[in-house]
Order: sequence, then structure tokens, then C-alpha cells
Amino acid sequence: MNEFKSIDDILDFAINSEQEAIDFYTKLATVAKTDAIKEVFTDFAGEEAGHKAKLIEIKKNGSFGVITEKISDLKIADYVVNNQPSPEMTYQDALILAMHKEKAAFKLYSALADRAPNADIRNLFLMLAQEESKHKLRFELEYDEYVLREN
Amino acid sequence: MDDQEVKYLKFKTYLNTYCPYCHQSFNVEKKNDKQLVFKANYKDQEMDLSLSPYLDVFESTTSHEVKEGDLLSDLLCPSCNKSLISKEIKCGECGSDVAGVIISAASKLIPFYICLKKGCEWHGLTKADERKIKLKIPRQEMPEQDKTLRIHNHQEVPYGFTSELASLEAGRCLQCKNPKCVEGCPVNVDIPAFIKLMRENDFNGAAKKIKERNVLPAICGRVCPQESQCEEKCILGYKDKPVAIGRLERFVADFERKMELVKIPIIKTKINKRIAVVGSGPGGLTVAADMALLGYSVTVFEALHELGGVLTYGIPEFRLPKSIVQFEINYLKEIGVRFELNHVIGNIITIQELLEYFDAVYIGVGAGLPTFMGIEGENFGNVFSSNEYLTRMNLMKAYLFPEYDTPMPRGNKVVVIGGGNVAMDSARSAIRTGSAEVTIVYRRSRQELPARAEEVHHAEEEGIRFRLLTNPIRYIGTDYNMVKGLECIKMELGEPDESGRRRPVPIKDSEFIIECDLAVVAIGTGPNPIIFQSSPDLKRNKWGYLDANNNTMETSISKVYAGGDIVTGSATVIQAMGAGRIAANAMHKKLSKEN
Repeated sequence: MNEFKSIDDILDFAINSEQEAIDFYTKLATVAKTDAIKEVFTDFAGEEAGHKAKLIEIKKNGSFGVITEKISDLKIADYVVNNQPSPEMTYQDALILAMHKEKAAFKLYSALADRAPNADIRNLFLMLAQEESKHKLRFELEYDEYVLREN
Repeated sequence: MDDQEVKYLKFKTYLNTYCPYCHQSFNVEKKNDKQLVFKANYKDQEMDLSLSPYLDVFESTTSHEVKEGDLLSDLLCPSCNKSLISKEIKCGECGSDVAGVIISAASKLIPFYICLKKGCEWHGLTKADERKIKLKIPRQEMPEQDKTLRIHNHQEVPYGFTSELASLEAGRCLQCKNPKCVEGCPVNVDIPAFIKLMRENDFNGAAKKIKERNVLPAICGRVCPQESQCEEKCILGYKDKPVAIGRLERFVADFERKMELVKIPIIKTKINKRIAVVGSGPGGLTVAADMALLGYSVTVFEALHELGGVLTYGIPEFRLPKSIVQFEINYLKEIGVRFELNHVIGNIITIQELLEYFDAVYIGVGAGLPTFMGIEGENFGNVFSSNEYLTRMNLMKAYLFPEYDTPMPRGNKVVVIGGGNVAMDSARSAIRTGSAEVTIVYRRSRQELPARAEEVHHAEEEGIRFRLLTNPIRYIGTDYNMVKGLECIKMELGEPDESGRRRPVPIKDSEFIIECDLAVVAIGTGPNPIIFQSSPDLKRNKWGYLDANNNTMETSISKVYAGGDIVTGSATVIQAMGAGRIAANAMHKKLSKEN
């Protein structure tokens, strides 16, 4: 916790994490074997860029919303086995990878919120965790709709 | 025609018939033989006369035989001995005298007339009365194999309508002026027209009418989900159960086949162009038939050693007998379609190579790649995809054991994951091959089960257990890596999301284990990538399905068309046929311009 001295430190960390995700998906887009999967990863990178822009906006304005909304958790990421990134990934593989990444980020921010020294920092971590939870839900819904079609 | 106008219509149904004077019933039942019994005068002789309750058998029960075409001079009530001859009404077909009786329908007594000429099948009532009766004739059920018997064999479950049941059911059709059922059919079969022919007892004509739009009626009559297509739109369905269109379609197609009435059309025009069809499933067969009938030279390439695609390798014998698939394919052979077996396009010939020899190509390879959930333990022994399980059973004829000694996955306690038709087929196959306990595990509630209600009903009758709102989370294996259990978690439907759907969410700490020694995963399928590996120019979407123009089914490569599951993902037989029809029309239009 020592490295997070202020709200700005936390936001910088989160912005940096989003940038890492953008780079990760952009790299996968360049190596993917089919045009359709390249497009999928480019879209994922675009979504992460949107999340980063949102955090930059919060940092600029110095304010963020208090959590009221309940995000449903389908828990698909809890039971689906994660996979390693590869050029041969299918869309199903891409969704599994993405939902695991969002789940890991959610768990990190939730853990940090539990150990936050004050209410402001705690609320910021909870807000970030909730954002990641929303992102995870977006991938889980896609997985639920198409992969688990007849289940 | 105005309802009030007194015009008498021909009408045939099973009847409870009464004397208009003494109200005694004419119906007599002897050892399951139902008859209507009258007295009659014929050539100045009094005699007993019986009619079948369908009024189609007209026989003397004494030594006097009534000759075909002869007229009875009177028909009398055996109870009150009064003459039943009507003074006002004459036969609507031959003008002879008719007997007036009363039938009981729609809680009313309705006048009904029977022509006295033997062989004339006119039985009449008013249009207004006809409507009252139709609303009261129940939807007819097909006789079927007893549930305790059928779990020990692989023969088809429903036997199909008898001609009497088919006529009764056909009698329920309202013959709407603006029929919605036709819109509900992806290939737009003229449903009221074929039912009208059935009502005139022209079953052969009815079969031909269907074949104008649908080359596989015996198959569609069995496996199409009519309840969500034509029957869903049936106007009668708003007040009562819809007309059983699928069962009628099946009946006339079977009638045509059994009576050997199929006529091979003579193709008068010959077009000097060649068409390649990749895949011999329902979509490919439709394109092949349409193009062959137009005069093109058509070759169908099939990857497997038997024709029919999913109809052969996927749908079990007890739901769609293979002899029927073969019969329909033979019709295509008769009209000149060539079939090449064991040709894996994309592997031994590429699409580009096909285009060098053929003028157009249709890709109808279906979606044959199994989808797995991606949970822990899916690689344990005896965890099968439904594709493999059913392919072994159907294509490799495990159901004919010991005639075909196919190594097929057997289990004493079987779990099938999924709630679609494929899951029902897998579970019902397992019970027929001797599994003691078969359980279907489905994540959502009964309401969301994607399988046809009829299939779910049959599965339940056959003793298959349903664990609804239950989600598998991991497989448990033995020390030697064979599956021995499936860990599941109980689910509940969450709050409705933006689309209004309630999605299943797990209930905390509700995990439990279902013991099993065989698991079949039937959660859906995806596109098989083989055909695309050598054709990277074929544009696909993120799910791997082909991109095709909705109006023409043409892909990103000119003159290469595609339709069915390879474009839409898993759908129905008739939807694949509908796509095939669109592609065939577009193909013909494009190739005609080149002349």
C-alpha cells in the first residue's frame, strides 16, 4: 500500500494498467491469423482505450461516482479454465482470456479496497473494482449468449 | 361467401350421428369396430346397412349387395323406422337424394346430409356449421410406440397419421384467404393448397403441391420445429390448437413414397453450366435439386462415406429413419444430380480449384465443430462431444449392434449437458443402448429449454431425468483419468438485463456432484475450419461463420454461395433449405446473364 500515497497515485496505476491491456490486445491483433480475430482484438484494445479515457477524465476532474449500482456476476470466469495467448486463438479463446483478465483486475482492486487507509481511497478502489466487474460481465454475457448457446 | 347463405359443403369427419326424429344414435361399436347402422330400401328390398363413421365405407350387412353407383331408394332410422330422406336438399356433387341426420358438435345439434348413391362421397353441411365443427375437432395425435417398448429399440417413435386421422386433421384447416402459415415456412410451401387437396382425398396431389417448394417433405414433416414456424402462425391456433401441418406433411410424403407414386420429372431444358455443391445436408440437397430441375449439371461433394449430412450423422434413427433420407436422396439421383463421397473440400480440392471447373459453388457444410464449455476436466476419458457420440451412433451404425460392431461410448450413468434437440437425441440414444441412468443437465429453467416440446416430452416418458437450473463447473476423474463425476452448482434466474432476459446466476455454496461414467457435451456447435484453411479469401465473422449476402447468399468470392449453419450457426433443417433456395435463385439469375 505504501506506493499509493494519494488518489492520483491510484488513478495513475489504474491508467497504466489499462494502457498495458491496450498494448496486450494490440499485440494479439497483430499476430492473430484471421482478419476476424484481428478485428476482435482491435475492438478489445479500443474498449480498454475507452476505460483509460474515463480514468483520465476522473483524474482531471478530481471526482468519481459513489457505487450504488449492483453489477450481476454470472461467475463464468470462475469455472472456465484460462488459456495462453496464441496466434491461433478463436473468439471463444479470446473471450476466456478477456474475462480472466477483467476478473484478475476486479480481484486486485477489491483486495486493495479492503486494505485502504481511508474512505476516499477505499471508494476509489471500489469504483475501479466495479468498472472491472462491468467489463467482465460484458464478456461473460457474450460467452453466455453464444458459447453456452444450448446450455 | 356469406355465412348466412345456405350453401352445403362437402365435409368429412368422424361423427356421432343421431336420428332427427327420435334422437337415437346410429353409432354402434363392436370390438373396436365403429359403425353407423341404418335400415335401407334398395331395389324394393328392405335391408340393414352400415357406414363407417368416416362415411367412406358403405356396405349392406345382409345378402343384398349394393353396387357401386347405385342409389338407395330410402334410408331409415332403425329405431323409429322413419325415412331420413330430405325433401329440400340434394347431393352437392351428383344431385341424388340425400339422407338428413343430426350430428353433435360444438354443444349443438347440426343437420348433416349423406348422399344415397354408393361411391359418391358427398356429405354436406352449411358453411356456418362447418366452422362450428372445425373449432371442436381436436388436434389429432399421431399413434406412437409404447414408451416401455421403444427404449429397447431404435425404430421410429411416432407411426404417423392413418388416412382417417389425416383427413380429420385436414378438416380442421380454415382455408384462410390470407394464410399466415405460408409466411411462417422458410420455403413458403403453399400449405392451404396442399391441405385442400388432402380434403379432396387427393393425397398424391397434395404431395406434389408440397414438392413444388420443398424437396424433402418426409424429412421436414419429421424434424422441422413447426410449432415455432408454420403452426405458430396458424389462425386456428389463436382460438384452439393449430392445425398439425407438420404431421400432415409427413403423412402425404409417406403416402407418396409407400404407394410408389413418386414421378421423376422430365427436365426439358439443358443448361450447359456446372454447379458444385459442397455438403449433402438439407441446404446442399435443396440447391442441388433446384439447379438440376432448371437444367444445370450438378455435382454434390460429401466429406463422409454416406450422404445426408446432419440428417444422417446427427439425427438418430428413432427420430428420422435413414431409409427416408436415402429415399429423398435417390430422387435427386434420379433427376441427374451426381454425388461424390469421401471428398473433403478444402483438403483434397480447394474452392479455387472447384471454380476452375464449375461455374458456381455452393457451400453448405453445416457447423460440425463441437463446442465445449472450457471447464476443468473436459479431457478426461469418456467425456464426449455430442457430435462424436451421435456420429458413432448414427453414421457408424452403433444402433445396429451386433450387425455393426461399432466401438461406441457406453456408460451406466450418463450425463448429457445441454437442453437442445441434440442433447435430447444423445440422452435418448444412451437409454436405448442400455444405460441405466441418464440425466440431462441444463443451466436454465424448463421454459428456456431450446429443444422441441415433443422431444422433451418423449425424453421424459423414456425415463430421462432433468436437472434444470444446474450448471456443470468441473469434471472429476478417476486415478486413471476416466470421468467419474460431474460437479455442478445450482442456479437461479437473476434480474432481467437490458434485453429483458433473466440470466442464470449461481447460488452460493450449492455445489454438488452427479456420479457418471460417461458425459456427453451438447451445448452447440461451431464452424469446421477445414474448408477455410485453403481459402483465406472467404470472409468470415468473428465466430468463424461465413459472411454471405442475405439476399443472394453470395460470399466474398464471386460465384461462391453459402447457406445454412455455416452462415447462421446452428439452426433448423428448413432454414438451411430456405437459404439454399435463395442461393439457387441468385445463382441461376447471375449465370443466366452470362448467356
